[in-house]
Amino acid sequence: MTDTVTGVTPERKAARRQAVRGLALAAPAALWTFAFFLLPTLAIALWSFFRQQGRELVTVPGLDNYRRFFEQSAFVKGLWNSLEVTLLVTVFSVLLAYPLAWVIATRIAPRFQRLVLMLAVLPFWTSYVVRSYAWLLVLAPNGVINQTLLSLGFISEPLKLSFNQGATVLGFVHFFTMLCTLTIYSSLSRLDPKLHLAAADLGAGAFAIFWRVTLPLTMPGIASGAFLTFVVAVGDYVTPQILGGNNQLVLPQLILMQVIRRADIPMASALSMILMLLVVAAYLAAARWLTRGRA
Amino acid sequence: MSAFLRSRLLGFADRTGALALTAGMLVFIYLPVATLVLFSFHSGRVPVPPFEGPTFDWYLKVLASDRVSGATLNSLMVGFGSSFVSTALAVLAAWGLARHRMPGRRVIEVLLYMPLAVSYLVIGLGLLLLFSTLGFGKSLWLVGIGHVVLNLPLAFVIIYAQIDREQARLEQAARDLGAGEVQVFFRITLPLLRIAILAAFVLSFTFSWDEFIVAFLLSGFDPTLPVVIWGMLRTGLDPQTNAAGTLVFLVSIIAAVLVELFLLGRRRR
Amino acid sequence: MNGYCALLAVTTGLVPALLLAASPAAAEEISALVWCDHTDEAFLKPFTDATGITVNVKDYEGTGTALSLVDQSQPGDWDVFVVDTTDVKRVVARGLLAPLNPDDFPLSDVPEAVRLPDYHTVDGKMYAVPEKFGYNAIAFDKSKVTEAQARDITTLWNPAFKGQVAIYDYYLPIIGQVAVALGKKPQDLTEADLPAIKEKLLAMRENSALVGDIVTSQTALATGQVGILAGGGEYAVAGIAADKPNLDWVLPDVGGIRWQQAIGVFADSKKKADATKFVQYVLSPAGQAALATSSCYWGMPASSKATLTPEQKKALRWDEQPTFLAKSYPYPSPTEAFDQKMQDLWAEVLQN
Repeated sequence: MTDTVTGVTPERKAARRQAVRGLALAAPAALWTFAFFLLPTLAIALWSFFRQQGRELVTVPGLDNYRRFFEQSAFVKGLWNSLEVTLLVTVFSVLLAYPLAWVIATRIAPRFQRLVLMLAVLPFWTSYVVRSYAWLLVLAPNGVINQTLLSLGFISEPLKLSFNQGATVLGFVHFFTMLCTLTIYSSLSRLDPKLHLAAADLGAGAFAIFWRVTLPLTMPGIASGAFLTFVVAVGDYVTPQILGGNNQLVLPQLILMQVIRRADIPMASALSMILMLLVVAAYLAAARWLTRGRA
Repeated sequence: MSAFLRSRLLGFADRTGALALTAGMLVFIYLPVATLVLFSFHSGRVPVPPFEGPTFDWYLKVLASDRVSGATLNSLMVGFGSSFVSTALAVLAAWGLARHRMPGRRVIEVLLYMPLAVSYLVIGLGLLLLFSTLGFGKSLWLVGIGHVVLNLPLAFVIIYAQIDREQARLEQAARDLGAGEVQVFFRITLPLLRIAILAAFVLSFTFSWDEFIVAFLLSGFDPTLPVVIWGMLRTGLDPQTNAAGTLVFLVSIIAAVLVELFLLGRRRR
Repeated sequence: MNGYCALLAVTTGLVPALLLAASPAAAEEISALVWCDHTDEAFLKPFTDATGITVNVKDYEGTGTALSLVDQSQPGDWDVFVVDTTDVKRVVARGLLAPLNPDDFPLSDVPEAVRLPDYHTVDGKMYAVPEKFGYNAIAFDKSKVTEAQARDITTLWNPAFKGQVAIYDYYLPIIGQVAVALGKKPQDLTEADLPAIKEKLLAMRENSALVGDIVTSQTALATGQVGILAGGGEYAVAGIAADKPNLDWVLPDVGGIRWQQAIGVFADSKKKADATKFVQYVLSPAGQAALATSSCYWGMPASSKATLTPEQKKALRWDEQPTFLAKSYPYPSPTEAFDQKMQDLWAEVLQN
C-alpha cells in the first residue's frame, strides 16, 4: 500500500526507521568523540594562530607562532630530534621484533607459541613511567650493564649510557619491540604454510622464500607495528624526559615546556599541529600496507 | 659429509640459533623489570647498585602512604568508570553501525577511529584548552572523560570486528521468532559479544590504569597513580618508587594474564 | 560464561561504591601550591591533627610553572602559595596574593638577613613571609673533584671537566650564578647582559652531561654519573648525606646564589583564616623543623627557633650561615618580559 500523499513506500519507511535507529545507537559514541576529541583538536588548530603576549591572549589570527618556530633554533632542532629518535626507534623495533616473532611463529611448537609470546610481551604492562626510570637504574655507571662489562674486563671505566639520546632510543625500543612482536607475529601466524612449500617446490632457496614470499606477506604486520610505534613514540614525553637528561629535546618536551612553564598555550598548539603533521606523513607512508592489512 | 649429517648439523644450528635469539631477547626485555623489582627490596636509601637487603620496608611504606592509597583509589575509579563508559558506547555504536543501513556510516566510522592517530599529549592538551576556556577546574572527572576518548576507539575496533555475519543471522532468526529489538540485543547480541566486550573492558582498564600524560594535564588534587609515581620520581630518590612501580606492574599483569588465559585462549577453541 | 557476566556486573557495581567511598568527608580543607618540600606527610600531618584542616598540595618547580597552573585553574581554587621570594612582587603585580598582617607571624625569630622586607612588601603592605632558604651553589663528589676545583667557578666551563657536570634545570639561579661569575649582581641584570651570559652558558652546556630537575641531578650525582652539580647545594646532598658521605657542597669563591621561599595567602582564597593558620604553622618551630628536613629536599629554616637536632643542624651547616649569607646573592627578579627572554635563552641552551 502506497501513501499517495507523500509517496513513501513501507519499504522506504522501514529503511528510514532503520537508519534513524542506527544513527541513534551510534550517536553517543560519535557525540562523545566529537565533543571531547574533534572539538578540542579544532581548538588547538585555532589557538595555534593566536598569540600569547605576557598574560594576554591575542586572538587576532596570525602566523607568529609558526614564524617563531622557524626562527628559534631550539624548536627546529626539536623537530629534527623528534624525527631522528622516532625513525631510529621504529627501525630498531621492527628489526629486533621480526626475528623474535619469526622464531616464535616457526620454531616453537604451536601449543607453546602463545605462552612464549605472552612471556615476551609481559613487561609491556609495566607502568610506563616506572619502566623508563628502571632503565635509568640499568644504565647507571654502577648499574647492571656497566658492572657486567667492568667485571668482564671489556671496559676500564663505566660508559656514560644514560641521559642522552641513545638512552631515550633504548627505552623506546624496549617498549616498541614488544608491540611490534605482537603485530608481526599475528601476520606470520596467518601465513599459509602451503605457500612456503610451493615456493620451495618451485626451487626457491630459503632466502628467496623469505624475501619473495614471507616478507611481502607480512608487510601489513610490519607496517601496522611501525605506524603504531611512530605515532606513540613521536608524541611521548615521559621517556625522553626521564632518560634524555634534557639533552636534545624532542617536540613533546618543548610542548610541555610551553604548557607547564610559560602558560603559552598558543605556541604549544602550534607545536602540536606540527606533531600531528608528522603523524599524517607517517600514515601516508604506511597507508599502502595498513589498508591492505585491514582488507 | 653425508647429506644426513649435514641436515642434522643444520637443524642443530637452527635450533641453537633460535634458542639463543629468544633467550637474548628475553634478557633484553626483562632487564629493566628485573632491576626494578630487585631494587624494590633494596635496604639502602638510594636505589642504585650494589644491591643490599632484602627488605620489605619500602612496600610497607608505600602501602601505608595516604598519597599512594588515595591515588590508587582514584586510578581504580577512573579505570573502571572510563572503561565502562568506553565499552558501553562502543557496543552501542558497533551494533548501530553493523546492523543498520544508514547514510554517513563511513563518516562516523572514521570519526570513531580518528583518535587512534593522534598523540595522547595532543588529546590532553586539547581537553585542557577546551575545559579551561569553558571555565571547568581540573579534576578526576576530566581525566575520566579524557580516558574515554583514548579508549573508545580501541573498544570500538575490538567489538566492531567481532560483530560478524553469522551473528546477524542468529539475530534475524530471533526476530523471525517474534523477539523485539531490545530482546534481540540483550538475549542474542550481548551474550555473543561477551568475550569481545570483556576484552575491550579489561584492555581499556589497563590502558587507563597506566596512562600518564592526560592524567598529568587534567588532574587537580586527586592525581592518579602514574601521576603520583611521576611525582615520587621527581621529589625523592628512594626505593619506594620501585615498590610502587612493582605493585602497579603486578595489577597490570594480573589483568593481562586473565585476558590471555580466559578470553583469548578460549576463543581459539 | 555466566562467570564473566558476573565479573562484569561486580566490576561495574564497584564504580558507584568506590565513588561513594571516595567522596570527601565534610572536613575543612585548603589547597596549597607549593614546592615539593611541602608535600611531605611528616610535615603536613601534625597540622591536620592539630586543626582538623586537610591540606591539598600540588607541587611545582619554578615560578613559571606555578603561574601556568594558576592560569589554568579557576579563581578561588587556591588558598596558600609558596613562591620564590624574588618573585613575590611579580606575583603581587598579578594580583594573586592577599596582604598579611605582620603581627600574625613570629617574624622576630627570622634573622635580619633572611627577613628581606623589600622583597615581601609592596606599597607598605606585606604579602608573604620568609620560610626556608638555601643555596644554588656547587654540589660535588669528593672522590671525583677537589674542594678547590669545586670552589673555582671556571671549572664549570673548563674543558678538562667535560661530561663531569650536571646542571640544575632552573634558569634563574644558573643565569644568576653566571652573572655573578661575570661580576654582575643578579638583581641588576638587563637584556644587554644576556649575550655574554649566553656565551658562558653554552660553554657550560658543552661540558654538561645533563640538565635535570632536583631528583634527576641528585640521581646523577649519587650514582657517580657526574662529579659536579651546578646549581646544587644542601638541598641536593644533605638529605642523602648518611648514605653518600662522598657528596658535599660549597659556595664558589666568586660568590653564590641563594634561593629563598616565601609563603603567602591567595587573594581569591575563600578560606583566608584557615590559610593563615597554615602559614602560622609553617613558621612555628615544629613546622620549620619538619620543612627544613623534608624528604624532597633539605634547606635552612627561616626561623632560628626551628627545633632541629644537632646532627640536622650540622648537615645544614647551621653555624656557617652568616658567612654564606654574606657571600651569596638572591635570584634575579625579572619583569614578565625579561623573564620570557631568559626562558627563550634557556630553551636555546638546553637544545645545544
